[in-house]
Amino acid sequence: MAPSSHPAVFTTQTPYPLPPQMFMIPTTWSRYQLSQLVNKALSLAKPIPFDFLLRGDLLKSSLADWCTQNAVGEEETLEIEYIESVLPPQQMSDLPHDDWVSSVSCQLEQRFLTASYDGQLRTFDYSQNQTWSSSIHGAAITSFCIVPSTLSDSHLIATASHDLTAQLTQVSLESAEKTKPLASLHLHTAPLSSVSSNSAGSQILTASWDGLVGLWDTLVPDVDEVPEPAAGDRKKRRKIEQVRPKRKAPLMVLKSHTARVSGATFNDERTAYSCGFDSTVRSWDLEHGVCTATITSSERPFLSLSLAPAASAPSALLASSTDRTVSQYDFREPHSLSSLTLTHPATPSCIVRSPNHPHQILSGAYDGAARIWDLRSVKGATPVASFKAWDGEKKILGVDWKTGGIVGVAGEGGLGVWKVGEGSSTTVA
Amino acid sequence: MAAKRKQPSRDEDPRTEATTFRAPVETLEMLSDDEGPEEDAASDDGQVDEFPEIDAASDSEAEDEVDEEGSDEEDFEEEDSDDSLDRDIFPKPKTIISDITGQPKRVYPEIEPDYDSDSSTEDAPNRVGDVPMHWYDDLPHVGYDMDGKKVLRPARGDELDKFLQTVEDPSAWTSAFDKTAQMDRPLSAEELDIIRRLYANEVPDAGYDPYEPMTEFFTGKGKEEVMPLSAAPEPKRRWVPSKWEKQKVMKIVRAIRQGRIIPSKPKTASKLEFYAIWSEPSTSHAPPLPAPKPRLPTNSESYNPPEEYLPTEAERAEWEALDPEDREHDYLPKKHSALRLVPAYDRFIKERFNRQLDLYLAPRIQRVKLNIDPSTLIPKLPSPQSLKPFPNYKSLKFTHSGRARCISISPDGAWVISGDENGIVSLWEVNVGREVKRWKFEGKIGALEWCPRTDVSYFVVGIEEALHFVIPPNLSSTVLLLTQSVLAPTTLPPAPETPSPVKWVTPPTSSWSPDTAILTVQLPQSSGLPKQIAWHRRGDYMATVSSGGTQGGVWMHQITRRHSQAPFKKIRGAVQLVLFHPLKPHFFVATQQYVRIYNLSEQKLLKTLTPGIKWISSMDVHPSGDHLIVGGYDRKLCWFDLELSDKPYKILRYHTRAIRSLAFHPTYPLFASSSDDGAIQVFHSRVYNDLMTDPLIVPLKILRGHTVKEGLGVLQVKWCARQPWLVSGGADGTVGLWCS
Repeated sequence: MAPSSHPAVFTTQTPYPLPPQMFMIPTTWSRYQLSQLVNKALSLAKPIPFDFLLRGDLLKSSLADWCTQNAVGEEETLEIEYIESVLPPQQMSDLPHDDWVSSVSCQLEQRFLTASYDGQLRTFDYSQNQTWSSSIHGAAITSFCIVPSTLSDSHLIATASHDLTAQLTQVSLESAEKTKPLASLHLHTAPLSSVSSNSAGSQILTASWDGLVGLWDTLVPDVDEVPEPAAGDRKKRRKIEQVRPKRKAPLMVLKSHTARVSGATFNDERTAYSCGFDSTVRSWDLEHGVCTATITSSERPFLSLSLAPAASAPSALLASSTDRTVSQYDFREPHSLSSLTLTHPATPSCIVRSPNHPHQILSGAYDGAARIWDLRSVKGATPVASFKAWDGEKKILGVDWKTGGIVGVAGEGGLGVWKVGEGSSTTVA
Repeated sequence: MAAKRKQPSRDEDPRTEATTFRAPVETLEMLSDDEGPEEDAASDDGQVDEFPEIDAASDSEAEDEVDEEGSDEEDFEEEDSDDSLDRDIFPKPKTIISDITGQPKRVYPEIEPDYDSDSSTEDAPNRVGDVPMHWYDDLPHVGYDMDGKKVLRPARGDELDKFLQTVEDPSAWTSAFDKTAQMDRPLSAEELDIIRRLYANEVPDAGYDPYEPMTEFFTGKGKEEVMPLSAAPEPKRRWVPSKWEKQKVMKIVRAIRQGRIIPSKPKTASKLEFYAIWSEPSTSHAPPLPAPKPRLPTNSESYNPPEEYLPTEAERAEWEALDPEDREHDYLPKKHSALRLVPAYDRFIKERFNRQLDLYLAPRIQRVKLNIDPSTLIPKLPSPQSLKPFPNYKSLKFTHSGRARCISISPDGAWVISGDENGIVSLWEVNVGREVKRWKFEGKIGALEWCPRTDVSYFVVGIEEALHFVIPPNLSSTVLLLTQSVLAPTTLPPAPETPSPVKWVTPPTSSWSPDTAILTVQLPQSSGLPKQIAWHRRGDYMATVSSGGTQGGVWMHQITRRHSQAPFKKIRGAVQLVLFHPLKPHFFVATQQYVRIYNLSEQKLLKTLTPGIKWISSMDVHPSGDHLIVGGYDRKLCWFDLELSDKPYKILRYHTRAIRSLAFHPTYPLFASSSDDGAIQVFHSRVYNDLMTDPLIVPLKILRGHTVKEGLGVLQVKWCARQPWLVSGGADGTVGLWCS
């Protein structure tokens, strides 16, 4: 037996388990040799690259280096968990825009839908052609979401804008005539920061800079629920909108934040989460419209939030803040400390969870880099993969991740589409 | 007779003894031995000694008398000169060439025997003579005049009178006490001259020339004395050996022969002299330090060192190549198989010499070394990590084409306006950095400031000779209507009684657009660029400072009354900055070197602060209103505690170039300074309500990221209202947002 070897046991949650057996691993080995070992031991037909987690830390260098850094003796038995590694992301296309793109969605079939700061929605097909565009707002659109609907040939889209309103729009990608604004949502007195809908498409949430969260249904009213404002304002509005949408009032106003609400999202049909610049993450009971739980972090103004991947923590959520971290919070835990913190070199502006991988999330930051994180690798806080969407310091403002590994990155440089290699766990599982 | 003989011998013997033996004990022994056989010699000595003594005494007496007479004469003449100061006491000699010798000689004027020459007729009333004057101390008089009448003692005042006299009489300090008259008499010019000469160690006589050329009488060419002065024959004593000397020598010879004088007797007696070692007080000097011990030999200096100490050939060559001063050791280890084979140490003398040299040259003094860890001298400041949050990284960057000279942040902390030197004003979101709207003005943007009111929303842009009031887009209708009614009311307020040179212009309602100003204030002609706009916290009053114009360029504008006035009729110095006190009706005005605080309601000057800065560049007041920071182009930052003093409480000089801007955070205990060195420094500044506790100022972070362009760095810094975020505008055209 060579003197520089280490006893190790391999575990995995992938569909490629090794028999429970102790291996003596030379300490000079790094990821590549370990991956080869696993492949050979399993005698896989097609080699699969693996990444290795040692006590929640992604192995980047050799075993010996890791042991000296973490002060692990040679006699200790290491438990090495292996996961399928993420292949380097590849750029598929780059779709430049006239203006900054604030939000992107890849959920339509064969289309990318983008919302831009010039108030327009645009769609692109996979061959990089702009197929449709429509001016929705007079001011910048900060966020939009596709409301699941039963409409056959068109989609229902909710947009949030700087002009203090959100809007429900019926969008038909084929014919411009069928695109019509259905209702404008009037509640907020400051620009809106985000809009999101529940999975059934019955309700939407809007978050605004005035500290309010509005809960709305998606039914289009027959008459204005909110009266018109006085003179001067109307003239301007008429110029922009030919078909005036109905003015809609909220179902409920969720009022508890003391500063700007930067994001609000549904958890399930009855509960919602929101985060804001007052360094709090709040959980709401939508039936009664009350704040049920508050997690207060110290001096961490949150910029966006996203639900955590379902497999890793069912009721946890991730929130990015201006102190360059993405933190995971769980309302079930009694203490409100963050269970996991991912440190970024720049301000992380948006997060999206992987549509099918149980542990991965994607974050976009102001330095123009999108990073894929594995939530099992909690300690080292190094992303499993990262890519720079554009050259130079162009900010990423929105990301979306579609099943099949297609990632849309929206921001200062327009829209970038990237292919992210995912593990084949979905195909097997 | 015996006593008489004894005396000279006593005089004589010690003289001879003293040359040979010093101990007085010896002389006493000699005397006891001397007694008998010495009588004849002693009597002779007595005669010899007597004559010169008498002679000398008589001479000296005669001389004394002459001196006294001379001095008397001088005295009289002095008194004479007192009466008529123009006359000299000393008759001035004339130097003439002698007819006889041909040499220059001094000739004194003849004394004419008239009345004036007689000293007896002069006014010297006291004829008591040279008697001690203390004889008259208890008497009412001080002597008698020529007629035998008493001369009464002149009145002498007490010390106070003396003092008054010295004050009143200008000649008092040159007067001296005259014993015979018992009063002060002023000294004459000649006497003062004598005193001056005595002080200067010169000859007192003014006419005496100590370096006058020698008059040769008997020497020199042609003046040799050929003939003897006396015709007396040479006395015999000149060439016969002296009998008395022979007798004296024989006396000593006899004494030596008889053994009474032992020539080479040891000087000190065999008696032990004791020295009281403890009776002497110990010196205050520290005892001399012992010499440092020489270093002990090591293993390598052994005659038979272990093998590993022996140098290799390469080491030996290296050692020999080095200068002797550079060598680590001054020897090379050598191996000898036996101690008897060790040769003599060739460097013994040199080593001893060096050791002595070291001991001699190295001053062995005990230095009192302050054993202080320098880190303990640094004041204990809390760690910056414990004072979070503060901005520590650049979150985003907004780029202008020209220098971003001024920035302002909306009171809700959501929007930033930044103006550059090309006349562009951009409105952008604080934490996305997306420009939402852009306005173009004519000429440079001098200042920008957002109105601090939260119920309305507008900002003021200062360009050349005008202030523009602009409403940002995307306002809620209520805020927009209220803003419009504030800036352009349908019914204008009544015009003030005194017309102002400042015009308030609102364009007609039909031409309102988001791209133009809703209200324009035309400042007077040639008032120049407004350098600064300062709002009162209520948002009704606004002060502007222009670079040119009269009254220091300071204008006070009231929005509701649409009226402007110049608060100062005239003001000393060029006004740099103005500020409103956040709580009280006080107004800070910074000129180049001073900061003046005025009470606006009472219209008076409260205080003048002297920061000691050559040229003030920036100023900000703490939200509590009790503290003021002032920055200067000479890199200094002064913190004033307004309750404490007119002088700075603390002066910080951390920037390497001129300070451009200062800002206190409205809610967090932070302030920031920006400088032409391209750096922004963030400080923690905790102010206590307790008057006894000094403010705590902790440097937290230096933010670098702006590039210095044409010698200009970061031109302005501002804080976001509710977050610990900093916005900075630089000469490189970038505006950065620094997040915590």
